[in-house]
Amino acid sequence: MEQQPILTVRGLSKSFPGVRALDGVDFDLRAGEVHVLVGENGAGKSTLAKCILGMYQPEEGEIELRGEKLCFSSPKDGIKHGIVAVYQELTMVPYLNAAQNIFLNREPLIRGTGLINHRKMQRDAKAILASLSCADIDTKIPVKLLDVAQQQMIEIAKALSFNPKIIVLDEPTASLSEREIEPFFKQVLKLREQGIGIIYVSHRMQEYHRIGDRITVLRDGKFIRTLDVGELTDEELVNLMVGRDIAQVYVRTKNEHSGEALRTEDLRDHKGRVKGCSITLDRGEIVGIAGLVGAGRTEMARLIFGIDKPAGGKVYLHGKDVTGRSPSFIVKNGLGLLPEDRKRYGLALKSSIAWNTVAVSLKSVFPSGIVSERKNRKIAEDYVKLLKTSTPDVVRPVSQLSGGNQQKVVIAKWLSAKSDVIIFDEPTRGIDVGAKMEIYALMDRLAAEGKAILMISSELQEVIGMSDRIYIMKDGLITGEVTRNQCSQEEIGRAMVLGKEVEA
Amino acid sequence: MMKKIGTYLLQSKYAISVSVLVFVVIGSSLITSSFLTADNLITVLRQTSVLFILSSGLTAVVLTGGIDLSINNSAALVGCIVAQLLLLGVSIPVVILAGILVGVVIGIFNGLLVGILKLPPFVATYGTNMVVLGISTIVMQGKVIYDLPRNFTPIGVGYVGILPIPVIIAIVLTGVLYFVLQKTTLGRNIYMLGSNAYAAKYSAAKSVRDTITAYVICGITAAIGGIVLTARLNAADANMGNSYGLQIVAAVVMGGTSLLGGEGGIFGTVIGALVLTIILNVINVIGVSSYLQSMAVGIVIILMVWLDVFTRSKREKLSRA
Repeated sequence: MEQQPILTVRGLSKSFPGVRALDGVDFDLRAGEVHVLVGENGAGKSTLAKCILGMYQPEEGEIELRGEKLCFSSPKDGIKHGIVAVYQELTMVPYLNAAQNIFLNREPLIRGTGLINHRKMQRDAKAILASLSCADIDTKIPVKLLDVAQQQMIEIAKALSFNPKIIVLDEPTASLSEREIEPFFKQVLKLREQGIGIIYVSHRMQEYHRIGDRITVLRDGKFIRTLDVGELTDEELVNLMVGRDIAQVYVRTKNEHSGEALRTEDLRDHKGRVKGCSITLDRGEIVGIAGLVGAGRTEMARLIFGIDKPAGGKVYLHGKDVTGRSPSFIVKNGLGLLPEDRKRYGLALKSSIAWNTVAVSLKSVFPSGIVSERKNRKIAEDYVKLLKTSTPDVVRPVSQLSGGNQQKVVIAKWLSAKSDVIIFDEPTRGIDVGAKMEIYALMDRLAAEGKAILMISSELQEVIGMSDRIYIMKDGLITGEVTRNQCSQEEIGRAMVLGKEVEA
Repeated sequence: MMKKIGTYLLQSKYAISVSVLVFVVIGSSLITSSFLTADNLITVLRQTSVLFILSSGLTAVVLTGGIDLSINNSAALVGCIVAQLLLLGVSIPVVILAGILVGVVIGIFNGLLVGILKLPPFVATYGTNMVVLGISTIVMQGKVIYDLPRNFTPIGVGYVGILPIPVIIAIVLTGVLYFVLQKTTLGRNIYMLGSNAYAAKYSAAKSVRDTITAYVICGITAAIGGIVLTARLNAADANMGNSYGLQIVAAVVMGGTSLLGGEGGIFGTVIGALVLTIILNVINVIGVSSYLQSMAVGIVIILMVWLDVFTRSKREKLSRA
């Protein structure tokens, strides 16, 4: 099916403060193909997609649609040219119904009036959904009452209502369950048959084989290679993505464990997201918690940290019962938490690096209650040196740092609070490969210094590469435990999805 | 060169507010020659000081991302109680302490509503404002009290050297609040809470305590403002806070303290209060009719806040580039 591409991208570059997100990327898309964009977090997949959609304006390079040069200033221009997107996070108004969401902001009007023609809107919405074999979705109730898979189909219906030539699917299966994925793929393949070009961004290897035609690999914002599906083995593909042998990315020096740092017994929350988790973590140990999004891992971390109060069970920190105590008490006893969404939960973005560095340790650094700006700067500078944070000074707002350096500021915050048990929740999400390796090396060093690390991660390679032991969590329960080198990625992956016991 | 100045103005925290102040001062002295006389300037400062005292503690609340709409009537309540106590012959230091205590109680009340019950501060403190107005009416039994003791009124009208006492109080409060907000861990926590309440929570900050403290600071300055106002008017009645109303909030916001929290500071409020008072003063001096007065003030408030929002977004673009 060699044919003229409908979309050609040449030499595209786009920078953000501290990071070159795209660096001379080439890409092309044919009508009626599913072109998978792969690469690690921070490789530039989403940035490329957003440039094509018109959400970002690239600094260099050009985008051509059927030979016509495009210069978008907003997503509206993209839609006008038939380029639409379905995002990873659902972008619907939860209280409106399916029809209202599909035609949001361009509702059909009753002729000659400014009133919405609800009947036509319902009819049109039903017709589009029927074309997606989803006629059974109730278009009259608020979408928040529908399940996630149905909401995802409504997103696609909305995209289709623009009569697109190109659809960008950004991690569309992230929030779908195993059972819901297959019907979803059928719809994607149907779109492909209609001659729509599909740009598919995904992390899941098995999906490439299922629905992909070609794959383009990006790494650190650079174009690496475009190849046909099946041209390389999975392992070779991963090496292309990562750019080196995985063995070199994950540094794990052998460590001696000594004594229990953290233990939970049958921990449960009030919402039924955590249903009885018992884990232990020793000093000097890195323990991974693997599981799918929604398995209850972050909720468990919140229980341990004291943000949510447990409904039952116990948390022991260095042998001391801290169940249900306040975060400030628990932090005083040595626990730290790097939250999964560091911009939202980890940092005061507009405040300086210096301010953020001492955010937790204010009281111990300035016991008199009086702050010395100079001492504060000195502390922050010490951590910048120690963690190799790249920044010209410590007085600029953390919003100006790249993701990896922001994460280092969060780490500095806990180190300055003298935390010796640290929970890393998705520590490398949205961080480029170089910075990732630095974070890994740092975790390894902290463990070697006797700190205990609990790492929550959805990236299997990372969990396997870094952990001494791994707990597998599914639907709020710990369903398995394996020690380092005992288990292959595929086995753990299966256990994460299916919840079967892993044979240790 | 112009570009350099422009860049500097964008980057410096108070540059815009200061430029507006300079502009307003120059403009005022051009409009009326009597503006730049020593007498008038002292009057302006004295008028500014009451507005500033009332707004000063609000700066702390706004920095946490909150708001306090109960200040004007809280000040009135304090004034009424102070006046009643003075009539009963209670000694002045005790009366002042009692007034401040009333401010503390109102602050704790607001702090509990916002910090513990998690009510939206706008509505919660608006409710408080009505409640304290009601209490004032009960305290006063619908009457107005005139002729307070002679040794009390200097708090509002007296001088030390050439400086009116309210101006001195305002200067002292500026220093105290600058210290609290910029030099203490409490101040840091207040900024942290306002710039990212989630991050504060995930940093094990005691957000409830910090919220209540900010409202208590606000209650105390409202009480001080109420005492000064009462002394200056040499009278008290339940509605004496009416004319201040939202001017108090306007002074803080015009000074560049973001209503979203986490950005700004006490010097901004000094400038905001000055600009607002100067404009009122000039309009009075040149004898503009009262409807035009409120219109003019409204326009100035909108312009200044727009300028602040505009430079903020420019500044963000600048720092991104």
